[in-house]
Amino acid sequence: MIERIFYNIIRKKQALPRKKLPAAAPDALLLPGKKEKEVFGGAFTRSIRIRQVDAGSCNACEWECTALTNPVYDIQRFGIDFVASPRHADILLVTGPASAAMANALKKTWLATPDPKIVIACGDCARDGGIYKGSYAVTGGVDKVVPVDAFIPGCPPKPADITANIMQIVKLLSKIK
Amino acid sequence: MIENEIYRDVAKEDFRAECARLFSGGNGRLRLMFAADLRETGEGFCVYTVFSHAQEDRFEILRLKGIGGEGGKPEFPSITPEVPAAHWYERQIADMFGLVPSGHPDLHPLVLHGLYPPDVYPLRRDISSEAISRHLALENEDLSPFMEVKGEGIYEIPVGPVHAGIIEPGHFRFSAVGETIYYLDARLFYTHKGAEKHFERIGFKEGVKLSERISGVSSFAHSAAYCMALERMSGTALPARASAIRTLLLEMERLYNHIGDIGNMCAGTGFAVGYARGASLKERIMALNHQLTGSRYLRGVNTPGGVLVDALQDPAATLREIEEITEEYKSFISFLTSSVSHVERLENAGVLSRAIALGLGATGIAARASGLNDDLRTSHPHFYYGQLVFETHTRMKGDVFARMMLRADEVGCSIAIIRSILHKANGKRIEGNISDGGEWEAAANSQALGYVEGPRGSVFYFVKSGANGAPLRVKPRAASFCNWPLMPFAVHGNIVPDFPLINKSFNLSYSGSDA
Repeated sequence: MIERIFYNIIRKKQALPRKKLPAAAPDALLLPGKKEKEVFGGAFTRSIRIRQVDAGSCNACEWECTALTNPVYDIQRFGIDFVASPRHADILLVTGPASAAMANALKKTWLATPDPKIVIACGDCARDGGIYKGSYAVTGGVDKVVPVDAFIPGCPPKPADITANIMQIVKLLSKIK
Repeated sequence: MIENEIYRDVAKEDFRAECARLFSGGNGRLRLMFAADLRETGEGFCVYTVFSHAQEDRFEILRLKGIGGEGGKPEFPSITPEVPAAHWYERQIADMFGLVPSGHPDLHPLVLHGLYPPDVYPLRRDISSEAISRHLALENEDLSPFMEVKGEGIYEIPVGPVHAGIIEPGHFRFSAVGETIYYLDARLFYTHKGAEKHFERIGFKEGVKLSERISGVSSFAHSAAYCMALERMSGTALPARASAIRTLLLEMERLYNHIGDIGNMCAGTGFAVGYARGASLKERIMALNHQLTGSRYLRGVNTPGGVLVDALQDPAATLREIEEITEEYKSFISFLTSSVSHVERLENAGVLSRAIALGLGATGIAARASGLNDDLRTSHPHFYYGQLVFETHTRMKGDVFARMMLRADEVGCSIAIIRSILHKANGKRIEGNISDGGEWEAAANSQALGYVEGPRGSVFYFVKSGANGAPLRVKPRAASFCNWPLMPFAVHGNIVPDFPLINKSFNLSYSGSDA
């Protein structure tokens, strides 16, 4: 029985092969002027909590964020997790071109997140509206509504890229060596 | 001339009766209803309805033209009293074109929230996107009232638009008696991105990318339906190999959606192991998608006139991976159905009656789990489906369990179709080019429908070009647009904690419906 329970440990076998993280995009992720933000100095080292906000995304980015918590990517192993309330969050991970109808809700979510906080625009439309740029119903990027610190490229970015980039962004902003 | 599209103009006084005759109590299905601003061609505002039978491969397209012409009032007779399925379509037309469906029983704004000024109609051709943007009042709270239920012990639970999980935005207002939901009022369209007008702005070719981004996990269904509409409009033939690849990838999309949904329902019952196993299996299929096409969401494959990626290059290797996925899936589904505590939560939860599904024009899983045999793959064979032999499935009970087991049935069917195509390709029986090679050109003054059976149900596109071959109207219709109005009926009488489970069993797209 004991052997059955600890089968994986005894056999040194992993239930599922975990994904290795790819190299993160370098400093280009950070938006201009955000690099030297002292306020983050050492604020985030371990145990980072993310509140994901859909600001009008097509839902592909959300599914990739959901995939981060599955047994293959298992983002919790890096001390990162998603939380239900912005009041518990260190990072706002915003997806979508910031649709006009979500502008108010996004602003309120941002106000409800305690300082210091990092805002990451995730996905190509979060940066400048992407394919929806120029449509009347989108504001054209998350930074039109709330101040953004960094950006994760991709349409949608792959789960491993999201993790690697979040870790890199936190490292850069917190000045962790 | 497209064989299965029959266009007909009807007079204003006959419009309602003619629609009611085609609908015939729900046996004729309302596939699509939309308006178009054709004032530049002298036809005024037009309203189109598209009906078809599940038994016959023929679309009856009625057009009511000249609405609001010559100083007349911009209104048309509402068909909702006879055809309940038109309910949302007519409210959408009223919001986007300012055409009033006279006689509509419940007319109030659907798409446009309070931040849009009341006299701006985005889909009219004489107002530009920039002009609309200037009129927006982003800080405006939406104050239009919710349905209020009065009585002793009734209280309201507001939820959203930002939800607790990693999901799309929408506001739900529950009126509950104790734990039991009495009424659900859903305010959606928070992710409205103006896609319909944006199609006109960016042109037909660029529109393929936009169609892939209407609804994330239905990317392939949307772009396939859109490209099909473009091909039918210009009379472009689709090579057999491209048609087989589209069919293969449509089934791959159904596979990852259905298996993912079966797993997600476990999250609704707090069954962590089931959820984790479903998510791992879904991940495996997404990885296969990436291997086949370079995109986990099958994006960048479709193009008018063919496909850009040859997903049938190594059918033997794909077949091996599919066999392994099938084995893993079999063990997963028997594990789920042997969990009594899981199945108990699913049975009798969120029952959608056949009558409601029929009247409101449900599509996809929602329709077939409530006893409506409606599957475009057999009723209106497109792409390679006409050359394959397969069975479509229905379940009678309409509860969450029926929707889960129907997905399981359809996973079996999808695997059979995928295997069949891969075996044919392996035996070199699907050869030829993946596109016709030439640059696709839009035909002038032309129109067509495109449609596929996507993972969530039927997806429709209507495209119409002007004299210069530029888009005059592109109307996408996601499956979820038909299925959202069913939610208040399915949750009535259930407990509030079962709402997420019922919602997951329908797996509705907010972005697709909001467009």
